[in-house]
Amino acid sequence: MNGMLGLLHLATFFPPWVDEEPFLVTGLALGGVYALSGVGLIVLFRTTGVLNLSFGAVGAFGALIAWQLINHSGLNQWLAYLVCILFAGVVTLVYGMVFGRALADRDPLVKATASLGVTLILLGIMDLLWTSSGGASRAITLPTDNHGFMVGQVTVSTTDVIALAVGVVITVTTTIFLRVSRLGTAMRAMASDREITATLGVPVARVEACAWFGCGVLAGIAGILLADLVALDATTLTFLVISSIAATLIARLSSIAVTFLAAIVIGVVESMVVPIESLTNYADATPFVLAVIALLVLSRTRALSGERQGF
Amino acid sequence: MSTAQVSPEPPAPAKSPRSGSPFARDEMIRVGAIALGLLVIVILVPAIFSLYYVDALTQVVVYAIVALGLGVLVGRVGLVSLGQAAVLAIGAWVAARLLFGSGLPFELVLLISGLITMVIGTCVGLPALRLRGLYLALITLMLAGAITVALATLNFPNGGHGFSGYNGAFVHIPAIRRPGIATSDRAYFRYSIIVAALMFLVVLGHLRSKPGRAWAAIRQSESAALAAGINTTLYKLWAFALASFVTGVAGGVLAGAQQYLYSINFQTQDSITLLAVVLMGGAYSMWGAIVAGLLLELLPAILNNIGVSPDWLTILFGIGVLQVLTTAPRGIVEQFPRDMARLYRAITGAARRSSGRSATS
Repeated sequence: MNGMLGLLHLATFFPPWVDEEPFLVTGLALGGVYALSGVGLIVLFRTTGVLNLSFGAVGAFGALIAWQLINHSGLNQWLAYLVCILFAGVVTLVYGMVFGRALADRDPLVKATASLGVTLILLGIMDLLWTSSGGASRAITLPTDNHGFMVGQVTVSTTDVIALAVGVVITVTTTIFLRVSRLGTAMRAMASDREITATLGVPVARVEACAWFGCGVLAGIAGILLADLVALDATTLTFLVISSIAATLIARLSSIAVTFLAAIVIGVVESMVVPIESLTNYADATPFVLAVIALLVLSRTRALSGERQGF
Repeated sequence: MSTAQVSPEPPAPAKSPRSGSPFARDEMIRVGAIALGLLVIVILVPAIFSLYYVDALTQVVVYAIVALGLGVLVGRVGLVSLGQAAVLAIGAWVAARLLFGSGLPFELVLLISGLITMVIGTCVGLPALRLRGLYLALITLMLAGAITVALATLNFPNGGHGFSGYNGAFVHIPAIRRPGIATSDRAYFRYSIIVAALMFLVVLGHLRSKPGRAWAAIRQSESAALAAGINTTLYKLWAFALASFVTGVAGGVLAGAQQYLYSINFQTQDSITLLAVVLMGGAYSMWGAIVAGLLLELLPAILNNIGVSPDWLTILFGIGVLQVLTTAPRGIVEQFPRDMARLYRAITGAARRSSGRSATS
């Protein structure tokens, strides 16, 4: 009798699977973007020791520029997205060349805090240029939103597929790139020991510049995808980076593979919690809760020091 | 480096009072001057300034207390928290709930909300015992995010019933009550100044006694502190407890000051801005907390009054963080007098040189 009641209770707690299916699709797409952001953050962190907390703000800025170009300058939208990605790459590169170098010898915490400074600057400028008061709503709609196919009862848009695919492709290519290419090897060497790498004749500054630019490019891509999937809003996009950071934290800021898995899990759980009525409002807290639990469990087994090791 | 340091150099050791009496003469003079200054502020500010600025200054007082707590964590112990605005929200929530749900005197409500926030904040601090530096900052950011989401659903109490004390159907929301002796805005400003002075004294008492010395030791080197027989676990938790306590009390003062609380006004971004102004003000000095409060609450009020967008301030805070971290780790409190002294020397030097030249010629 009790078992029956329990089952009944579960049945009312969890919505039928049919309701969950579309959210699974959204979750996978979101997870893909979290994964590509997480990979960008980790590669930069391992190479330069900087956890780039301005990732989200840079992406948001790029997406807003793209929106401006499409809607007010009539630019071809693919060109606008390219501008967004280049903008994000250049801004991140310039920050890295100026402040990344000035703070090179400091604690990782100081470097991360400094990137919060950039976040505030970008956030302020975005609110000045694209004010959100007065109910102005903007949106980026990729042409792929209208294409799609059916899986069973669920419509899957091409954008969802692209988001997940970009996440997978970036994860795989980055892993291969780090193993095979000269630049990747140099990055791995720097992750282990910056000084020794420099002694061996690796152009440390150039390798770092590549990492900064790469991270920025990924921020731009993530900015456009999230603007389409979530919302084109400066604050929302800026702080979505926290969800990607949750994934990198679960991977203890080192493993790309774990980051990818964690990102997908976070994205899927975050979306699939939405149709559960009693938890709907708490869905946004998913990345934080998962990261906190993971950190607490991980820190039981090994002390986390924030020191740099290999990938 | 075991404990993360936001500055490359540790703060100068506190000037020890001259041997013998714990209160040396110049110390007495300083205390007297501060007390006199407080008296002048309490009497004059509400009398001179318009209600708009009195309200803004009450906010300054609230955030000076919050900055004081964060300053203890960041400046004294070297623990960076990116979740203090969420802790403030918890304090405000508890105080609002108690003020609606009970007839307890306001002072007692402040104390209780401080204590409850202390318990919650210490629980947040528990992971800090294992996590260091960057990881600690990030986990506090995560917790702050989670609390913000929870608060948005739970809402602040508005006089309803049940645990949350929130009734979404209310048309006329009752105001959060204030202490009987300070119902007007001007009186409440005076009241909040006194609460803040007490909080500063509590923190000063800690810094001047055993915990303060233990924190200084932990900040310099955790392993050395451990070797010297300092219970680092206890004192780190103590720092979190103290910071959360004063922040909880500040939340209570905030509840009374605003009288209507909305969860939309407590965002994750605030925790980041808070850290920014604390670093800008100077995390190593208690005066820095006051500067931080002024930056965070008075500056926007002034800008708003002259019609400048507060977004400029966000940009300024961002630049401030970068500047503090790269060139001036001790913040405005130390830098401004130094710059002024340098300017004074430059002027007097130039004057002396020119007068010397005219004398020889």
